[in-house]
Amino acid sequence: MSKIVILGTEVQIIIAVYLIFRLKLSLSMSGEEEENAAELKIGDEFLKAKCLMNCEVSLILEHKYEQLQQMSEDPLNQVSQVFEKSLQYVKRFSRYKNPDAVRQVRELLSRQQLAEFELCVLGNLCPETVEEAIAMVPSIKSRGRGHDDEAIEKMLNDMSLIKKFE
Amino acid sequence: MFFHIILERNMQLHPRHFGRDLREKLVSKLMKDVEGTCSGRHGFVVAITGIENVGKGLIRDGTGFVTFPVKYQCVVFRPFKGEILEAVVTMVNKMGFFAEAGPVQIFVSNHLIPDDMEFQSGDMPNYTTSDGSFCIGTIKDDFLGVISDPGTTS
Repeated sequence: MSKIVILGTEVQIIIAVYLIFRLKLSLSMSGEEEENAAELKIGDEFLKAKCLMNCEVSLILEHKYEQLQQMSEDPLNQVSQVFEKSLQYVKRFSRYKNPDAVRQVRELLSRQQLAEFELCVLGNLCPETVEEAIAMVPSIKSRGRGHDDEAIEKMLNDMSLIKKFE
Repeated sequence: MFFHIILERNMQLHPRHFGRDLREKLVSKLMKDVEGTCSGRHGFVVAITGIENVGKGLIRDGTGFVTFPVKYQCVVFRPFKGEILEAVVTMVNKMGFFAEAGPVQIFVSNHLIPDDMEFQSGDMPNYTTSDGSFCIGTIKDDFLGVISDPGTTS
């Protein structure tokens, strides 16, 4: 299909089909000039912080939600809208569901001399080809850490293996 | 992107809470105050996961309230310029489309949609504006665009 048509006629159609897009944020809310995730300019504070993949956030939030459930009958009333939306989002976009697989992926990626942020982008988007991985994480090539195409391909293969056998 | 970071906040506590469960009171108040808030610097505070430490309280002049510096760990969602993420489309119109990635709303303008995609007109769905923060996105780049649902693919 060479021509993709965005349906705009009825909201119901869109919600039923659940169009899912991969998109790039081109303007951040804070408006800081220096920010650019493609070059890993995300501020010192966040560069050093622990970054979480969607599947990890999903484990954390579900655990917290279960705790709330035990304390009260109506946990949905207890949580903020931000929590609810985040939980929905990470449940939907978790590539790895099984906690063991999540740990394996982090171990695998943390052996690759990646920054936390790069690690999580790869873990979230699970690119299939080397070109795709470089397009998603341009900084992977630019920092001279000896990531040649072969090393990247091996890493992507290992990731898909974990997914296959989880 | 989600982060696990440590933040600090000065909590004011009413003297009536002083007693055995002062700490619990402090933590539950902190959760009520902080979870669900949003700031430009740290993004959305999604959930508090632990208390790092509670500092020495300082009694305020005149009121009797005590201020405790509390350090806590939390999960935050902070979008960055140039970040690539997945989102669910919530509404489409001829100006572009709106999408949601967790708590954040994203608008992708017509100009940032590849030329081989076109809008099919019809009854325009109306929408209500949100109070949260807002991002502008693009899908006009390599490997961006419609993807299959990762939840359904095996």
